[in-house]
This record gives sequence, structure tokens and C-alpha cells, in this order.
Amino acid sequence: MAGLVLGSPIGGNTMNWRMGAELQPAFSTETKRIVEWVDRLRRPSPASLRSQASGRPLEARVFDALAAAKTLTARVAMHLDRETRDKLFSQLDSLHETEQWEAGDEPVNPSSFETFLKAILTISPARRPGLGLSHTGDLVAAWTTGRDRLTIEFLPNDRVRWVLARYQDDGEPDRFAGQVEVSRLVQGLAPHRPEHWFSNESSQQSPR
Amino acid sequence: MSQQPYKQPPITEAVIEIRFAAPIDAPRLAEISSDLRAQYPYEQQVTDLRVQLYFVPQATPTAGTIERPGHRLSSLDQTQILLLWPENFIVSQLAPYPGWDEFFERFRRDWSKWKRLIGYQTISRIGVRYINRIDIPFSGPLVEYEQYINVYPHLPEVFTNVRGYGVQAQVQLADMDCILTLNSLSVPSPLLGHAAFIVDLDIANEVKPPQNDESLYELLNRIRLKKNEIFESCITPRARELFKPWQD
Repeated sequence: MAGLVLGSPIGGNTMNWRMGAELQPAFSTETKRIVEWVDRLRRPSPASLRSQASGRPLEARVFDALAAAKTLTARVAMHLDRETRDKLFSQLDSLHETEQWEAGDEPVNPSSFETFLKAILTISPARRPGLGLSHTGDLVAAWTTGRDRLTIEFLPNDRVRWVLARYQDDGEPDRFAGQVEVSRLVQGLAPHRPEHWFSNESSQQSPR
Repeated sequence: MSQQPYKQPPITEAVIEIRFAAPIDAPRLAEISSDLRAQYPYEQQVTDLRVQLYFVPQATPTAGTIERPGHRLSSLDQTQILLLWPENFIVSQLAPYPGWDEFFERFRRDWSKWKRLIGYQTISRIGVRYINRIDIPFSGPLVEYEQYINVYPHLPEVFTNVRGYGVQAQVQLADMDCILTLNSLSVPSPLLGHAAFIVDLDIANEVKPPQNDESLYELLNRIRLKKNEIFESCITPRARELFKPWQD
């Protein structure tokens, strides 16, 4: 049994079979023909076609960002139940109603959304969060139980920033914050008993 | 009715492609794209741009471009896609896969509309492609993909540190005049704590593709059955457990 040794990233760019331009002169015509032939076999799929977002009007950028977020969701849709997916899309659509936006507001950043999906599929919270967007297009999720609040900002490139406030018997809140890679979010939150926000019991304590 | 065997099918994309012997002109393509807006609320114009550079000794290099305009139509949730190129009619379905019956019905609906508006075109290729991604959970430093997949590279024992792989096979399916192109490769997983492996099956007939609808539909249904058979032979019972069979 050989198995795959896990590194970072798994399988990275190992599947690029194109010859580097600098190596082209070193190969025979026949070799080049074979490489082209192999490359043709690896046609891109229809879903991989994208239009360019930069320099376009807000409406077009919003469309592209929403489409990218929904396509990213499709990549993991087999791990999401239909209701969760529908609710998520409804929240995303609602967040992108631009009438209330201010100048400079950006639609959801696909890299931030990717971080969000990784986190949400790992945590699998019984309670869905409220969602918001930062000025720069990073997705923000918030859970509230009574006066206690947990907010997680999903940053591009697998980073997350979280802030929580938990009220004590004396009426004063304990506040904690952290910033970690998304793969360590669960460990980062563990000391603060995040089930206080994520579980259905918490919603029964204090419906939102 | 054909029942999708798994609660969580690993299909990330299913595609039916019809390729034509001669291109359709851009205005007619735009017209049909516009007519299909009722089914697909989103439309994007896409361009396939090819650049060719010509180097001749003792002469100034010259460049030429070939632009192929197309239309990408999609549903509100972006899972249903119709791609119209001058030489291709492509129906695609992203996850969650609704099952063959629903996917095929959409193909028939759009194909009928296409035929009504464009008329008969000589078909040069009919293809069905299913891209499956198998997400294997891991806890240690090694993912034993051989426990889940039956198609992977056969490497000498000296290689003990495999970090990624990709293999491709082309197989003739003589009983249906088709060629199977099978890609099996490791890819980064979109899930934490998982390694992901692609099993990409592309079955196409470009030798003698049927030209009438009845034969076309029959071929597509036969390809689908063959595709299922091939996919099942590419995976192990442990992989099937990951997809949660309905009988469980």
C-alpha cells in the first residue's frame, strides 16, 4: 500500500502537463505534438469559463461575485443539505442588494467565501448564522445567544478572525479575539465552548 | 425512472456535448441564446481567443488571432449551464446532481429548441462527461487512496513519497463506437481534513455519431449506463460508503 503523503498543498500544481516555454527548443517536433495531444485531452469543463471582473461596473461585478460564490458552493453541494444551500443563497442574494450600499463597497470576495465554506462544513453548526459583508467584501458570520455574541470574519486565503463577548454574572462581558488559519478555528474556539452559539439548545434559550 | 444510487453523489459536473461539422454563424447563435433566456436568466458572452505566432527565419515574426464568440447561459443558482459555441452545444450540470432523468430531460428540452431554431446540422461528435470528486477524510499523514479508487499509477516501490498523481487512459468501447477518456488524479480538497481525488469519465462517439434525435437519445442513454458501470468499477466499497447509498 503506497498512499498519498499529505503535504501543502495536496497535489498542488502537479497536474500541469504543459512544457515550460524555456524548454520548448529542447524537444523534438514529435514530442511537442504528443504534449499538445495530451493537453487537448484535458479540456476545461464548461463550468470553468469565467468573465473578467476587473474594471467593470458594480452591477457586473456583483453578478460575477455571486456567480462565483454559487459555483464554489456547487463544489461542495454534495455535503450540504438542500435547505442549508437555499438559505445560504437567499442570504447571499439579500446581501448583494446594492441599493443600500455605500461608495466603495465590494461584493463578496470568492477567496473569503471559500474560507467560509471550509469553516462551516467543518463546524456544521446546528444554528445558521446571520451573515454580513465587510467593506472589502469579506464575509462575516454572527451567532447571538442572549447578549452573548460570536462573530467570525472569513478572510481570503484560509484565514479567519473571530471576536466573542460572553456576559458574566456580574453583568460585565468577557471578550476574546483571535486570528488563525481556518484549519485551526475549531481548536481556537474550543476553550470558549462555541456550542453555546452553535447548538440548537442555545437558540431555545434565546430565540433570535 | 432511474434512481440515483447515492444520497451524496460525488458528481461535481455532468456534461452532454454535441459537436457540429460546420460552425453556426454568430447572429443565429445570439438569436437562440436570446430565445433560451426564459430557461436561463443569466447570460454571459464568452470568447475563445487563440493567438498564433509565426516565426520565419530572417523575417519579422507575425501574429494572428482567432476569436470564437459564444454564449454561457446559467440558472439562478448557477448549477445549470448551457454553453453555445459556433461548433458546440453543451449542457452542463453542477452539484447537487439531480439524477439522469432530470438532467437528460433538460438536455432534450434545450436540444429541441435548438433544432427548431437552427435546423439540421451534421453532428461530428457526441460526448458525455462526468467529473467525480471523491473526498476522503484523513487523520494521519497518509491517505490510502488505493482503498477507495481502483485507477491510480502503478509505481515502483522505490517511490514512497507520492504527493500527487495524474493518470489518463483511453479505451475503445467497441460495442458503441465510442472512446472512453479516463482521468484519475489527486487535487486539493475544498474540505478541511480531506484529500480529494478526481475520477473524470468522458465517453464520446466521433466515428459515426447518430444524426437523428431518436438514435441520439438512445446513444446518450446507452452511454449513461456504460458510464455508471465504468464508474462503479473504478471505485471500491469503501468509496461507496462515502456517498451514502440509499439502501443504508
